[in-house]
Amino acid sequence: MARALFAWELGGDLGHARRSMQVARALRDLGHEVAFAFADLTPLAPLSGERGEWFQAPVLVPSRTPSRSPLNASAILLNRGFGDAPGLAGALRAWKGLFALWKPDLLVSDYAPSAMLGARLAGVRRTAIGSGFSTPPVGEPMPVLRNWIATEEGALRKIDATLLASVRDACERVEPRAKPPACAADLFQAEQELLCTWPEVDCFGPRTSADYVGPQDDPASGAHAEWSTEARPRVFAYLKPRDPRFMAILDALRSVAGEAIIAAPGVGSEAAVSLSSASFRVHAEALAVGPLLAGADLCLCHSGPGIVGRALEAGVPLALLPQQLEQFLVGRRAVSAGAGVMIAPEDTAADLRTWLAQALARDDLRSAAAASPLRVRVPSSAAQRIAQSFGN
Amino acid sequence: MARIAFAWELGGEYGHVMSCAGLAGGLELHGHRIAFMFRELRQLAVIPEARNYDVFQAPRSAREGQGITMPASYADIMLGCGYSDPAELIALVGGWRALLERWKPDLVVADFSPTSLIAARTLGIDCVTYGNGFFVPPRASPLPAFRVETQPDPVHLARSDARALASVNAALGAYGAQRLARLADLFETREDFLCTFPELDHYGTRETSGYWGPRVRFDRGTDIAWPHGEGKRIFVYVKTELPQLDALIDVLRASPHRIVAFIPGLDEGRRARLAGGRRVLADRPVKLDRFLRGCDLIVCHAGEIATGALMYGVPGLLFPVHYEQYLTARRLQQLGAAGWIPPAATPAEVALGFQQLTADSRYAAGARAFAKRYAAFSPSEQRRRIVIRIGELLADRGAILSPAQTRQEPKR
Repeated sequence: MARALFAWELGGDLGHARRSMQVARALRDLGHEVAFAFADLTPLAPLSGERGEWFQAPVLVPSRTPSRSPLNASAILLNRGFGDAPGLAGALRAWKGLFALWKPDLLVSDYAPSAMLGARLAGVRRTAIGSGFSTPPVGEPMPVLRNWIATEEGALRKIDATLLASVRDACERVEPRAKPPACAADLFQAEQELLCTWPEVDCFGPRTSADYVGPQDDPASGAHAEWSTEARPRVFAYLKPRDPRFMAILDALRSVAGEAIIAAPGVGSEAAVSLSSASFRVHAEALAVGPLLAGADLCLCHSGPGIVGRALEAGVPLALLPQQLEQFLVGRRAVSAGAGVMIAPEDTAADLRTWLAQALARDDLRSAAAASPLRVRVPSSAAQRIAQSFGN
Repeated sequence: MARIAFAWELGGEYGHVMSCAGLAGGLELHGHRIAFMFRELRQLAVIPEARNYDVFQAPRSAREGQGITMPASYADIMLGCGYSDPAELIALVGGWRALLERWKPDLVVADFSPTSLIAARTLGIDCVTYGNGFFVPPRASPLPAFRVETQPDPVHLARSDARALASVNAALGAYGAQRLARLADLFETREDFLCTFPELDHYGTRETSGYWGPRVRFDRGTDIAWPHGEGKRIFVYVKTELPQLDALIDVLRASPHRIVAFIPGLDEGRRARLAGGRRVLADRPVKLDRFLRGCDLIVCHAGEIATGALMYGVPGLLFPVHYEQYLTARRLQQLGAAGWIPPAATPAEVALGFQQLTADSRYAAGARAFAKRYAAFSPSEQRRRIVIRIGELLADRGAILSPAQTRQEPKR
């Protein structure tokens, strides 16, 4: 039996927490002990009944002058507080305390870079899981995030050097005898990396040497909803109500869909009711997407890697409205495969109704989605892979 | 030897860290093991004496401040920090419980840390509270309003109290502990180290016999000498977020006084503008105990440093940016020992305030009169007494030998 601490620090919403909890549960079922160190503890509340154990992940102070368009993964870490050596040192002290307290044999990091660094200093083995963005391809310097924009290599080296100087300063304060990272790439690498996605929707994919295990969440989990009319086209939408275009997106959808089911977690149950009609139903909670996608003609979403993968597994074409870089990168993969259309985050003037109507009319999107290689993929268990690594 | 965990959950800046470190140092000398479970960890850099303590991140709401715009009571603060959603509070309490169950403290010292009190309650761990008047509310039901510029709305206070209590009881129930009848009962602990005086209490005078005097930690930092020459001696400690920072710098430049300023993170341009002549910039926190004895005025945000300076008879020109500081500023003003500048003040108002505080001797007289009223107050003696009291509490529980038992031990 081994002890695995699951850590999540960066990245919003519930994707990281859900994946970590799913893999942890499977690992526990294999006889291992698990605990969590999360940036947001709320998703863990349901575990209080089964004596789950969790801790607050150390909180970094984000940069006061963040780069609005970070050039590489190092720049993201600088934005998130890694450039502040005293702050990073404080976080590393707390990881050190937690590792000494809970004594994990393994850290499982889902976008938890200060945990990864802390584990490195403490000599705790690391597994990185994630949908791709948190385990970027590494290099010296760390490569660009937007490979379609020409970028001076010197600018990347400068960012890496700034990051490394701060990280070394922090390490020196906390663990002067430990070997600090030699290059920025060291901060992103783990002994084991499991990409919980597919090459075709990996935002940095396809990668030749990566270990793709596929998504780990259960597509049948979530509240149940089903198609209730014969009207076509059927559109399944997974939207964030905090998107400023939320109401405009719903209006456009209402005018083109025969029937629509919209999962909008966070919208509030009263608002969900008032926005709904018999053939246009807004749900305030996460839905089981598997059964819904099976009967859908189009999936409208923000291009999160999870939902895009699920839609392509079901052979459903995509209309994508990414809100941030990771989603945009995932969207580019779907668009280049011919299975989706996308409006870039900066294109705020787009005519959503026409865009949706055109997407619904395109046979080529449907054919490409129906022919997606994801349709026959079966994920392998990340937990089993982790458990196997305990023997090594 | 006992294990003592310091829990700091809400609030910011350096006051909590400095005060906890001061008290922890005294407890460590008695052989106790210390853990810091802190909201912010960056400040560890200023307390190297905590090098050997165990350090953990305190649980904190990822939705802090959402949904509550103008807190009127402690219950409102709680609602803005995870207590509006029972599920979130259950999760936060779970985070505290894991730390406490694993680290196994004999005592939790809670500094503005209501959720650690819930967790300790579910585990049967003894607690004390430690903080100024703002951090520990009076035991009234509903918890009273601290907001003073408007008439408190009793319906709002009762509703907030009931909502927070419902979440607290949901969390207590989730972990098999007895429910509370009143939210105020959460703050019933083994000892309330209420570190203020009635005149400085944010809630006004409360029915309590145990005022311990303000938390003052002026024995750390860099020694610095006052610049030579004429003029009053003025210490400036403000943050760069101060809206009138440039107006203040202009006023200080134009004044004939001797200035020592500590403004963390001040940019080069402003440093160059402020330094020179009789104005000295400190790069690190200033050791204030002796330094303040020669000080004529402190310019600061009205944090715990302002009340600390008052104990030295130093008047203040105060720039409150948080409501807690605003209440402190009003208290000090009522004592005739300070003037305060609101966040929206104009440069002319800043200049006028500075002029009044440096020219009118009544402020210094007010500050000296207050210090004289508590002439016997000593920060180090306060800490010594708190350490002794904690020792008694631990001995009561058998966590350590009582002082009497210790004396009976044969010498080795």
